[in-house]
Formats: sequence, C-alpha cells, structure tokens
Amino acid sequence: MIRLDGQGLGLGEVARVARERAPVALADDARVAMARSYQWVCSVRDGTAPIYGINTGFGSLARVRINPADTATLSRNLIRSHAAGVGAACPPDAVRAMMLLRANALARGASGCRAALVDTLCAMLDRGVVPVVPRQGSCGSSGDLAPLSHLGLVAFGEGGEAWFEGERVAGPEAMRRAGIATLAPEAKDGLAMTNGAQLTTAIAALACFDAERLLRSAERAAAMSIEALRGVRRAFHPAVHALRPHPGAIESAAAILGHLEGSTLADSMPEKVQDAYSLRCSPVVLGAARDSLRYGRAVVEIEVNAVTDNPVMLLDEPGDNHAFSAGLFHGEPVGIACDSMKIAVAELASLAERRLYRLTTGSLSARLPPALAGADRPGLGLLVPQTTAAALVSENKALAWPASVDSIPTCEDQEDHVAMSTTAAWRFREVVDNSVRVVAIELIAAASALRYRLTEGPVALGRGTAPALERVEAITSAHEVAGDAIEAVAARIAAGDFE
Amino acid sequence: MIELDGQSLGVLEVARIAAGEGARLADSARARMAASAAAFAAVPSVLVQKRKYLVGEGDPGGDLVRAFVLGHCAGVGEPLPPGQVRALIACRANVLATGHSGVRPALVDALLGLLDSPPVVPSQGSVGAAGDLAPLAHVARVLCGYGGDVIVDGARRPWAGTPVVPTHKEALSLINGATLTAALAALACARARHVLSRAVEACALTMAALHADPRALSPALHAARRHAGPQQVAARLRELLGPGRPARPPDAFSLRAAPAVLGAALDALDWVESTVATELNGACDNPLWFDGEGVVEGGNFHGAPVSLAMDTLRVAMTQVATVSERRTFRLTGASLSGDLPSFLVEGTGLNSGFMLAQYTAASLASECKGLAHPASVDSIPTVQHHEDHVSMGPIAARLALRVVENVADIVAIELLLAAQALDWRLRGARFVDGARVDGHPETFAPGILALHAEVRGAVAFWPDDQLMHPALVAVGRLVRSGVVGW
Repeated sequence: MIRLDGQGLGLGEVARVARERAPVALADDARVAMARSYQWVCSVRDGTAPIYGINTGFGSLARVRINPADTATLSRNLIRSHAAGVGAACPPDAVRAMMLLRANALARGASGCRAALVDTLCAMLDRGVVPVVPRQGSCGSSGDLAPLSHLGLVAFGEGGEAWFEGERVAGPEAMRRAGIATLAPEAKDGLAMTNGAQLTTAIAALACFDAERLLRSAERAAAMSIEALRGVRRAFHPAVHALRPHPGAIESAAAILGHLEGSTLADSMPEKVQDAYSLRCSPVVLGAARDSLRYGRAVVEIEVNAVTDNPVMLLDEPGDNHAFSAGLFHGEPVGIACDSMKIAVAELASLAERRLYRLTTGSLSARLPPALAGADRPGLGLLVPQTTAAALVSENKALAWPASVDSIPTCEDQEDHVAMSTTAAWRFREVVDNSVRVVAIELIAAASALRYRLTEGPVALGRGTAPALERVEAITSAHEVAGDAIEAVAARIAAGDFE
Repeated sequence: MIELDGQSLGVLEVARIAAGEGARLADSARARMAASAAAFAAVPSVLVQKRKYLVGEGDPGGDLVRAFVLGHCAGVGEPLPPGQVRALIACRANVLATGHSGVRPALVDALLGLLDSPPVVPSQGSVGAAGDLAPLAHVARVLCGYGGDVIVDGARRPWAGTPVVPTHKEALSLINGATLTAALAALACARARHVLSRAVEACALTMAALHADPRALSPALHAARRHAGPQQVAARLRELLGPGRPARPPDAFSLRAAPAVLGAALDALDWVESTVATELNGACDNPLWFDGEGVVEGGNFHGAPVSLAMDTLRVAMTQVATVSERRTFRLTGASLSGDLPSFLVEGTGLNSGFMLAQYTAASLASECKGLAHPASVDSIPTVQHHEDHVSMGPIAARLALRVVENVADIVAIELLLAAQALDWRLRGARFVDGARVDGHPETFAPGILALHAEVRGAVAFWPDDQLMHPALVAVGRLVRSGVVGW
C-alpha cells in the first residue's frame, strides 16, 4: 500500500499505480493536515475578505465577489465550464497517473479541501474507474484545467465519461457500478481538483521512467553494435572520460565497457586506431542524454511531490489571511524539462540509427554481409528496417521542436504567459515511443551481425552482449516480418528486458 | 462508384473513397496497361536486378517475390485508420492505371477488391523514397496471400480473399512509389479546403458580432494588391456580411487583415492541391515503360514534390489557426470587444462562461506551431547510401492531417463563441462595465443569420455555465460536416 502524504512519491511508484494498479491510500498524518486547512477555508469562505477562487471568480474574474451562498455553485460551475478538452482520449496510464499526482498534491494539506477528495480519487484508482480525458486543449497554465475538469466531472458526479471494467460508460454510472459515492462540490473543491499541471507531470513521469529504461537499453544496443563492428574499446576508457567529467558520459562509457567485458571481437582489428563517431562518441551522446534525463527526473520528482494550486493555505504564517495567491500551478518547470528530455531521447535514437546504418551498409561494416542479408533473409536483408528507423528518427526531429517556447495569452490577458507544457509532455511521449522502436531495430540488426560473427570463427561475446543476443533471437524467431519483430522487441525494451 | 483512369483522380474523389465510396479500374486504362505488362515480360527480372544493385548479389533462389514483399513489411506504430488505407489502395491503383508500370489490369482489379476489407497497415516507418515501401508492402502482403490481417466490420481478421500471383515487376510496382504520401495529402487537402471555408465563415460571424469595419473588405483595396486568395476571401466575407456601418478607429489585425491571412492560406492551398492532384495521376513508380523508348530507370518514386507541398499546407493552416484564435480571444475579452460581457455570459464571476474554450483554442494553435515545422528539410541516407536523399513525405502528410484537425476544432470554437456574441446583438443587449444595458435588437445580413442558425442547430445559447465538452464536440462535428463552401 502506497500512503500519500504529498512527499516522497517516486517515479517507479507512479508507474506501478498507473500501470499495475498498485493500491494507494491517504496517509493519516496527511488527513490531519488537510482537515486543518479545510477548516480554515470553511471559517473564511462566508466572510467579508476576498480570497481568490473561494469567494471570487476565476482568472480575470477574480475582480468579482461571490455571494457566500453560491460558493459551492462556483465550484460546480468551474468543473462544468472548464471541461473543455478535445481530441482522442488519453491512454489510461496517463489518466491514472494524473489522478494519483493530483491526490498527492492535495495530501500536503495546503489546498484547503476535504480529505474526502483524496479518498475519492484513491477509491477510483483502486476500483479501476478511469475517466475519459481528452488529450488536447490544455495550455499547462493555470494548470491542466481542462483535463482535470474532465476528472472532476466524474468525481463530483457531474457527468463526463469513464472506463470501468473494459466499458466506456457515463461518469455517474461508472461510479455507481464501482460502489464509490460521488462528492457534492463545496467551496474551493473545483479549484483544488483542477489547478495544477498534473496531466503534464503524469505524462512526463511515465515517459521519463520509460526513457531511462530506453537509455540503458540503448547503451546495451550500442555495445552490441560496437562489438559486431569490431570496435575499439579505448574510446570508453574511464581515464578518457575523467578528463571531461560530464557524469552521464562517465556512466555511459562504464556501462558500454561493462557490456563488452570478455569480448574477443572488440579490439580485434589492430590496424584500426579509432571508429566512426556513432561508435566512438556513443558515451558522449548517450551521456548527454543521461544528464538531460537526470535533470528532467529531478524536476519531475519535485513536481510529483509539490503543491500546485492557487491560492495555497499557509496556516503557520502570521496574520489572519492564510491564503497566499501565487503561481504554483504554472507548468513551465516541467515543460522545459520535457522539451529537454525529448531532444535527448531524439538524439539517442539518431545515434542508434547511424550505428544501424553502418551495420547494414557493406562498405562500413567491417565485412559483415551487405544489408545483413543471409540465408534467413533472402530478400533485402535489413535494408528496409533501417529505413524504418530513419523515418522514426526524422519524425522525432519534427516533434522535438520545443513547445515551451511558445505562449499565447489567455483569460482576458490575466494569464498572459502560459507554459504549453502539456504539449511538450505529449511530444516527449511520442519521441520516446518512436525511439524505443529505433533501438529495437538496432538490437535486431546487431544480434544478426553478432550471430554472423559467431559463424566466422571461435569468438567470445561480451558479458552484456551475449545474453542480449539470446534474448533478441528468442523474440524475433516467432515473427515472419520485420514490422512484427520490431514491435515485439520494442515491447520487451519497454518492459525492461534490455536494461 | 469512382472510375480510376490514371488521369482524372482529384482530392475530393480520394476523400469519397476513404469515406466508403467504391472505385473500379476504368476500361479506358486497360489497353495501355496490358501493353506495358507485355513489354516488361520481355525484359530480365527487375527483382533480380534490384537485388543485385542493392545487396550485391542477384537471385538467391527460392520464392523471390515472397521474400521481396515480406522483406519490406517493416512498418511500425499504430495502424492507419481503414479509410486512409482505402485511399492508399485507390491512389496506388490509379498510379498503376497510368499504364507505364507493366502491371496487368487484373492485378489492379484484385487490389481494388481490398477496398472492402482494408489491410492493417502500420502508420510509421516510411521515408517516402523510393516510395512508401513499407506501408504498401503491408497491402501487397495481404494481396499476395502472404499473411497479414484485414479490417472487416471494424474487426481485425485474416483475409479470406483469393490471392494474386504477381510477376516480379508487379510485385515491385505494388510498392515502389510515394503513394501513402499522396493519399494522405489528398485527404489533408480535401479537409483543409473545407476547414478553410469554415474559417472564413467563422471570421464573418465574428466580424458581424464585433461590428467590424466593412471597408477593409473593399474590392478596390484587394484588387490593388493583386493576390488572388485575399480577393476571394474578401468577396466571400462581403457576401456573408452584406453592407455594414463604417467604424472608427480601424479594427485589430485579426479582423482587418483577415482577408490577407486567410487569402494567403487559400493561395497556398491552391498550389498544394494542384501539386497533389498532379501526383495522384502521375506515374509514381520505377522502372517505367514507354512506347517507342522501352524501359527507363528514373526517380519517379521520390516523394519530394508532395512532401514540400504538405509542409506548406501545415504552415498555411497554422496561420488560419493563429488568426482564428486571436479573434476568439477578442470575443472573450470585455476590454477588447467593447460592449460584450466577459466570456460572453451574463453573471461572470460565478460563471466562467466561454473562458476555457479560448484556452483550448490557444493550446491547439500552439500545438499547430510545433507540428508546422518542416519534415522535408530532413533527409537521412538509407539503403547502403543508394537512397542517399529521401523525402520524409509521409511524415509531412501525417502531420498535415493532425494540423488540419486541430484547425477544425479552433474554427469550431470561434463559430461557437461568435454565435454567442451575436445572440447578445440580436437581443439588443450591451454590457457597460459588466452591467447589462438593453436597447434595440440589431439586424444582420441573411448570410450571417444563416450561419448563426446553423450553430444554434448544434448548440443552444448559454445563459450561464454549461458543460463545455459536449458543446465543443457538437460544433466540431458541425465544422467537419456539409459540403465545401467555395
């Protein structure tokens, strides 16, 4: 059981809740903190002092005071009018991660809402009610308002749609069938449910988790290609990388060297002093990607355990007004991180494709069969899968243009700079999905090349490359065409089999 | 039933085929196809030659056609929607109907038989030169009986048809051209023209609701700058708006310069569509046979012409997106509209009205900007450097379809908000510092009233906050429905 208190939630836990339905519940301490801030909101919502979003309108409408009798209607209206998403539905893992992250953000007790909100979200997670949330339409500031409102429609029983036990049904029906009571919205509830960039962060957290797996798999694929191309190991010497001590490069060089340990194919061409960049510079490029992912993970981990709301209730601050209006909902930190991480992953794939090109190009491959065509591939060998990789890499380049550099003013110019972080996160997701397939193709080609080397004479493969060869062949032997084999290997990369 | 004669296929016909209309090979195409097939029967195997060229050795023995087709089935990613596969099949059939490919009419008849059970074709993995090899190979795999699934009644299942036995040249010709690029480009063009005509209508409705100065639509003004598109757009806006009252000071650019922006997009679309229409009826294959000249090797498979056109289409439609979004922003802002309520409903504060619809438009417009970055500027050498410059055409076309769908939703939002704004005019209600002042109902030209009625047929007037999503879905459907305005 994962206990939510707004702190210490890890990306692995996010992935387990999102994809494996690991159980979650609100921690007892958090329940106390939430009750305290909720009580304060209750004490001021009917008073004369204006407090944003509790007894005022939203955005530029903060200038309008709301009658105390209408504060619940204000929450209800918010959820209904803000459910403005369009396009295809988000995948269920992203929606589940979004629910988890919103619950965790509220669990800190700074949002002034009831613990029942978090209990409801946890119950939905546990019983498998997954709201249908349209992918498009959020600017990531002030938070992912529209996507979270689609969640709110279901949680508050206002409508919407949800997946339950494999069926797409009306929101209230899903909640009834799951045996979860819907919440009647109170003051601040609407804002508490919607005012943060949790869809951005949900996508980013899952994609970052997957990208780290991909990166470690790409290091193994690189080692296999380097070995098959009879590469020179000196380029990965720790002393070399100590001279330019980017931590990622040091780690990637060590990983590749480790995979090649015991190989008699590496360094088997004494006349060769150095390799092409896609081999020799693998630790530099992959290491830069490692460093970008490290930065991205750090940002996402902070965001996963952050309060992203407005206003926030700081009950220990002196004075009567504990509601602080600020901009904690703004998606910019995660947006910039996603833009960086997607560039890093695109580069990882771009490098993999160039090694793949060498493997399949007779004049570049240290006398591997041209196109890796052999008895098992009487057609054009692996020429066409290399083309597939080129197409995916090129698509990544188009998708890698930054999203966070754009901003379009919204809300009568009150919200005059927005993050576009949700778009950044989706593009990061697409680039990761494309790149997993590129590395899958490299693994298939490198395995084929290593198998050929084993027929050339007695050789020993590396500590990390030999088992990967067996694993690739076990997967690909079941498939007749390359497209199916690529998808199957890609699925195993995503599952962590090639880390 | 659309006749494919290799000469007259247009983007609208491709869209109709994608939507379910049938297609058959025209009788007029059969004789020249048969002649080219006979000519290729007399030359050495193109597959043996191709393999020797690409891999360095010729016939490895065994079933070369099977190895060739299966070896190209390297597509990945989500399957294309069945309608897009139908378009792909029809467009390839039309290329083969040009009669230079050495393909027998019977093979194309069989290919078109797959329209009723479109194969499952992965959407990614083609660089658009030497053609869209992988996507077309997934179609050829089914046609030749080498496996692969088809979609029947929405379900995925093995194909139950009778396989064909292609010649070596036919196997090559089934896949050797940038026809996925062309097919998706045709669908994008057809949709884009429709959405652009809706964008002009939305602009007219906003101009009416915001009392825009009609002098910016003057025929003399637009004739003086000579561009055709702005003149057409201004004429259409005049037709919808009828005579209006001059206003001072001049309107903001999203209103005043709308003919320039939307007209530039129209001019771009005209060029794009003519390029695509040419491609649809072009011999996008290699090698080709010509009476009197024999077999000629060239580069007709390369997707560059349409790739460049699709990059242009995305840029053009992104302009339509960004200018529509700014008009939507203007409609939602009391300080910009002058006398409409903030977010277009009474009692804002407790209500947020159409606040979030503008966020959605802004998000979609921003997404368009990212997706508008060109695909054709990239090239990655493939196939042992034989194919050392490629088009990335299918990427350009797939991204174009995404942009056009985003623009449809952006325009839908403008229509929805403009209709709401017009309702206040029709009621004679003005808002001064948030307070309602009732006056005389305003009147509008028949074109504007008809547009307003069309929106109101899909979504009712909002007196206060309502559930937003169903309204956006309804008006999005409205924008995508109906015939092209002009």
